[in-house]
Amino acid sequence: MSRLITNYYEVFSIILFGIGFSTLLFHSNLIKKIIGMNIMDTAVFLFFAAKGYIEGKDAPIIRGEFKEAASYINPIPTSLMLTGIVVAVSVTAFALALTIMIYKEYGTIELDEISEKEETGWK
Amino acid sequence: MNDIILKEIGKIVIPYIQIFGIYVIFNGHLSPGGGFSGGTVIGASLVLYKLIYGPEMIKKIINYKIVMHSMSIALLAYGILKGYSFITGGADLHLFQIPLGTPGNILSGGLLLPLNIAVGIIVGFTIFAFYSLFDEGEL
Amino acid sequence: MKIIMSVTLSLILIIILLFGVAELPEFGDPNSPVNNYVSQRYLDKGLEETGAMNLIAGIILDYRAYDTFGESTVLFTSVICVLALLKGTGGKS
Repeated sequence: MSRLITNYYEVFSIILFGIGFSTLLFHSNLIKKIIGMNIMDTAVFLFFAAKGYIEGKDAPIIRGEFKEAASYINPIPTSLMLTGIVVAVSVTAFALALTIMIYKEYGTIELDEISEKEETGWK
Repeated sequence: MNDIILKEIGKIVIPYIQIFGIYVIFNGHLSPGGGFSGGTVIGASLVLYKLIYGPEMIKKIINYKIVMHSMSIALLAYGILKGYSFITGGADLHLFQIPLGTPGNILSGGLLLPLNIAVGIIVGFTIFAFYSLFDEGEL
Repeated sequence: MKIIMSVTLSLILIIILLFGVAELPEFGDPNSPVNNYVSQRYLDKGLEETGAMNLIAGIILDYRAYDTFGESTVLFTSVICVLALLKGTGGKS
């Protein structure tokens, strides 16, 4: 359990993930659900970036001449997270566009009111 | 928006933002940055231009046709260039290889510079297209 | 009721994930399994094989170039989807 204190980056990313998950669950507003999903994305990025760090080493950008390979941090999690950020942007844009269309169809973006209108045969 | 201060400041600031974006894209293989970050800066400058001068002004320069054509051409160019590189790199074909040059020069790194430019074009126009579509529903 | 349920669910999720974090290698440990031979190979040969001073650019545009191609395709597809949904509707209404 002492790892929970030394691994504080991972601990805070997990807590951030939980905050995003609870935002996703207890709001019925669709925009707030999208915000919660974005918070969860950010938590995953933080987790991966923390996994690539090595104590006392530089960013993998060569300045001047090439030092030995052991003086740079792990570049793979950093480059993988670029993909994650791009996919997060695309998914957010698509979800917001769908939300605009839902608002035009039903006149509201609260999920409760939408399902109420569906049940009572709204037309 | 009809604000004279905003328009005059925009005239001064927007070219510098675009030059900085082009610098970030072109130095992507030498310093921090690259196609994604530089493309976002250029897209932000286009959004600022549209916010200040209104949709009529920017339609003379960037319209639906230009956005779609340049994005498609950049995507196709990326696929063709990198596909050529992968084929000649893996199989024993002895075709022409792009020289790597001396590391540190701006014209070095083989295909990295053209690929960075292609990614920058795609990302910049994507940011602008998102703003434009969400703002008034047309490109 | 809904708030209590969702907060309990997320707390349970956080506790389960924290049990996983407690077993992870230490933060900044050079011998953790994340730093295996793949990243060593990229750092060793990256400069002479790709010619990039920025090794991240060398990885995402040379070794894993089709990954970046997929990213660009995702962006293009999302622009097409938003265009199909919103064009001609007059977003502000």
